[in-house]
Amino acid sequence: MSNINGKVYAMNAVTPMKPWKTWILRILFFVLWNVKPLQNDLINLSFIEFARWVILPRNRFPYLGNGQVKEDLKYDYLLFFSNFNGTWNQYIDAFSAVLSNGLNMIWRWSEKFPGSVPVTPFKAYIAQVQFDTDYYYTAYPYAAANDLKSAHIVQSALDNLNQRAQSCTPEQFADAYLNFVLQVQAHLGETGEAPVVS
Amino acid sequence: MPNQNGTVYGLTILSPIIDDERATPSHDLKIREYLATLPTGEESPFAIAPGTHLARLVVMDDVIYVGAPSCEEHLRSKYLVFESNCDSDMESYLRGLAASVPQHLDAIWSHCVGYPGAANVQAFLDYMTSCQIETTFFFAAVNNKSVTETLTALQTQRAVADFIACHQGMKSEQLQKEFAEFMRMLKAAPVPRPGGQAPRRDIKTGGRNE
Repeated sequence: MSNINGKVYAMNAVTPMKPWKTWILRILFFVLWNVKPLQNDLINLSFIEFARWVILPRNRFPYLGNGQVKEDLKYDYLLFFSNFNGTWNQYIDAFSAVLSNGLNMIWRWSEKFPGSVPVTPFKAYIAQVQFDTDYYYTAYPYAAANDLKSAHIVQSALDNLNQRAQSCTPEQFADAYLNFVLQVQAHLGETGEAPVVS
Repeated sequence: MPNQNGTVYGLTILSPIIDDERATPSHDLKIREYLATLPTGEESPFAIAPGTHLARLVVMDDVIYVGAPSCEEHLRSKYLVFESNCDSDMESYLRGLAASVPQHLDAIWSHCVGYPGAANVQAFLDYMTSCQIETTFFFAAVNNKSVTETLTALQTQRAVADFIACHQGMKSEQLQKEFAEFMRMLKAAPVPRPGGQAPRRDIKTGGRNE
């Protein structure tokens, strides 16, 4: 069992919701999906590589026959899977501090959700509804979300410079190279093992 | 379509685990036992098969009771949750898995109800489709790059940092020549293997992590 691989933490959470409330949440997710500026805080937090919310209605748990007993549930369930950088505490703290309104909007429909502020009961709730990951794989364990974004910026700038380099004089190249360095200098961070947090 | 964000696909699969009271150990424990020994680096089945950014396998024993006044209820089956963030679409991705690592798929999913095996690819796809749950909201920090493009970009980033550090103050003519050679070598370099550790470099930050 491991929730961590390199610089990424896998969080799983499941919370019960009264079925009539899931329709409200579906509408909220629809708006969040289609009005991109509403995702700005999530994007700007910049330590989430991938995250997803899945509404699982009580009658939609996979049923395959072959001796499987059909589920008989009263609640729908909200599943949350996140892949983030940093520690559990840092993640929940940042969520609570930066995204409290967004989080409340998503989880207030779940049973007994205490609100994301103050953070102590919020952490207790997350710890209660979280379950552990048995196997966790990442293609780039020693890169954080910001490393990925930066690497693509460097790659794109380098490709542009290389195109220009084919047809310019040494002086023109020196100017273009200087611009390139200015452009990528903030994106050359080191990848490697995560620092130890005490 | 919430399963897809840009070119990245968010696959969520819940497979009911066989509940057989005569099995010792139980099927969910057998899955956990197998997953505990499965490599997570370059030898991972998800590194061998193409297209996985991040993936997880989780045995979900039950739903969680959050306390009164909510009702307490329990699942009648345990479920294997497969959550993957992958390139392309579901069918191509699953075909890649079935072609590359069928032995691992069979070892894991043979403990699930109705699993037909990966050898019969169409039956395997049908099975996975019947267990798929649609994602309601899918967020990806980078949603327009493949695994290969990302690994290449990370390699480029390291190489560029080294090149800049080693070529400070160089004359224009020499710089252009060495840049051309650098690009030639960078293009000839093999794509790093997924799941591998980034090469360690001697860094001098002057800080406490040096």
